[in-house]
Amino acid sequence: MLDTHISHQPISVMTAVNFGELKLSRNPAETLVAFSIGAGIGVTMYDPVIKVGGLLNFVLPDSSTMSSSQAQFHPFMFADTGLAAFSDALHNIGAKTDNLKVVIAGGAQIMDQTAAFNIGHKNHQAVTSYLGEKKLAVHYADIGGIFMRTLRLDIGNGDNLIQTLGQTEAKV
Amino acid sequence: MTNVDDIISGIDTLRPIPPVAAQIMALAEDENSSMSEIADLIVHDPSLTASILKICNAAYFGLSRRVDSVRDAIVLLGLDEIIELVLLNATAENFRDEPDGYGLGEGELWQHAVLSAYAAKILAESHGFTSQKHLVFTAALLKDIGKIIMGRFVAFSYEKINILVHSRGYSFNEAEKEVIGINHEELGARVGQKWRFGDQLIYMIRHHHMTDKTARDDPETALVYLADIICMMIGFGTGVDGLAYRFYSEVLDRMKLTEKDLQNVIFDTGQRRQKLDKLLYLV
Ligand SMILES: [Fe+2]
Repeated sequence: MLDTHISHQPISVMTAVNFGELKLSRNPAETLVAFSIGAGIGVTMYDPVIKVGGLLNFVLPDSSTMSSSQAQFHPFMFADTGLAAFSDALHNIGAKTDNLKVVIAGGAQIMDQTAAFNIGHKNHQAVTSYLGEKKLAVHYADIGGIFMRTLRLDIGNGDNLIQTLGQTEAKV
Repeated sequence: MTNVDDIISGIDTLRPIPPVAAQIMALAEDENSSMSEIADLIVHDPSLTASILKICNAAYFGLSRRVDSVRDAIVLLGLDEIIELVLLNATAENFRDEPDGYGLGEGELWQHAVLSAYAAKILAESHGFTSQKHLVFTAALLKDIGKIIMGRFVAFSYEKINILVHSRGYSFNEAEKEVIGINHEELGARVGQKWRFGDQLIYMIRHHHMTDKTARDDPETALVYLADIICMMIGFGTGVDGLAYRFYSEVLDRMKLTEKDLQNVIFDTGQRRQKLDKLLYLV
C-alpha cells in the first residue's frame, strides 16, 4: 500500500512536500508546499466540492527507464506512477475527477539544454499526456524557464501560490 | 563600483581549512597515495579523531556498537566514508553562514555543496573514475566557495545581473563577471590558491561551469560540472541563479552519458538527498 499522508487536524499548519513525495489533505487549515522545484514538476489537484486536495512533487518523466523495484518503492519520483497514485488516492477519499482543479509548476531547464537531456521539458510532456488521457483540464501552468519555483496549495480554499525565486508571484 | 581587489581580500574572512584536512585532501588527490597514509594522518590528530568518532557514533550511521578508535571507524564504515566525513567536517563551518545575494535560505549553500559532492562521487564511480573519486568529491564540495564572498556584491548589483540573465541571455556567472568584474568560479579558484590547494583542484573549481571550451575536455572537471547541473535540476540548495548556467551536451557525449544514465543519476542523487538532512548537521 502506498504511504500517503492524510491530515485531518483543524490547526493552521504548513506541510512541506519534498522531492519525490505525494501528500493529501482535507484539513482546511493546512497548506501544502513544495519548495525549490527545478526541472521536476509540482502538481496540485483539488476538489472544491469536498475541499480535499494534494500535491505531488516529482522529478523524472518515466518510471520505465528505471529498474522496476526502484519505481515500485519510489513511485512519487516519476510522472507516470506518481500521477496514477495521486489520482487513485484522491478518488479513494471521495474526490470527483470532474471537479478537480489542476495546477502545475516547474519543468525548468538549464540554458541551452538540448532535447534528449531536457528533463524539464520531458516532465512537462509526461504530465500533459497523462492529464490529456484522463481528460483533466489544467487550470494554470507555470512551466519552463531557468527559474526555481515554490508551489503552495491552501486546502481551505483551493488557492495556489506560485513563487518564482527572485522574480514573480502568482495566486491562482 | 566595487574594486575586484576588495572582493578578493574578502577571502581572509573565511575560516581556513585545518592543515590536517588540507593534507588529507592533497593525499586524496594523489592517485599514488596509499590509504594507510591517510588513516595515519587522522589517527595522529586528536581533535580530528574526536570529531570523527563523535560523528560515527551518531545514530545516523546506525552502528551496532560504540566506535572508540579511528581504526575501528575505518573498519566499520570504510576508509572512503571516513575521508568524506573529514572533508565535510573541514568545510562545513564556512558554508553554514549563507551568503546574502543569492536568495539562499538557511544552510542551502551547504546542502547544495554536500549533495553535489555525493552526485559527483556517484558519477565518478559509474564512469570509470573511481580512483579520482575523492578529488571529484572535494572539488564538487568546494566549487561554490566563491559565493560565500561574492554574495553581498551580488546583492548590491542584483538588478543589473537580473536584467542580463533574464533579458539578454547571459548565464549567471557571465553576468557576475560583466557586472562585478569577477565571478564565483574565479573567486573560488583564488581561495584555492590562497589555501594552497593542488593545481588540479583549483582548475576544477575555476572551470566548474565549463565556460572555457578546453575545460570541457577534462573528464574530472566534467564530473563536477555534471553533478552541479544535476543538483540544479533536482532543485536542491539553488538560489536566484536557479538554472541560469549553460548546458553543454558535448560534455555528456564525451563522458558517454546517455539520457537514461542522466535520469539514473538524478534518481540516485534524489535518493541520497532524502537521507542527507541528518548528515548535514552532524558534521
Ligand atoms: Fe557555481
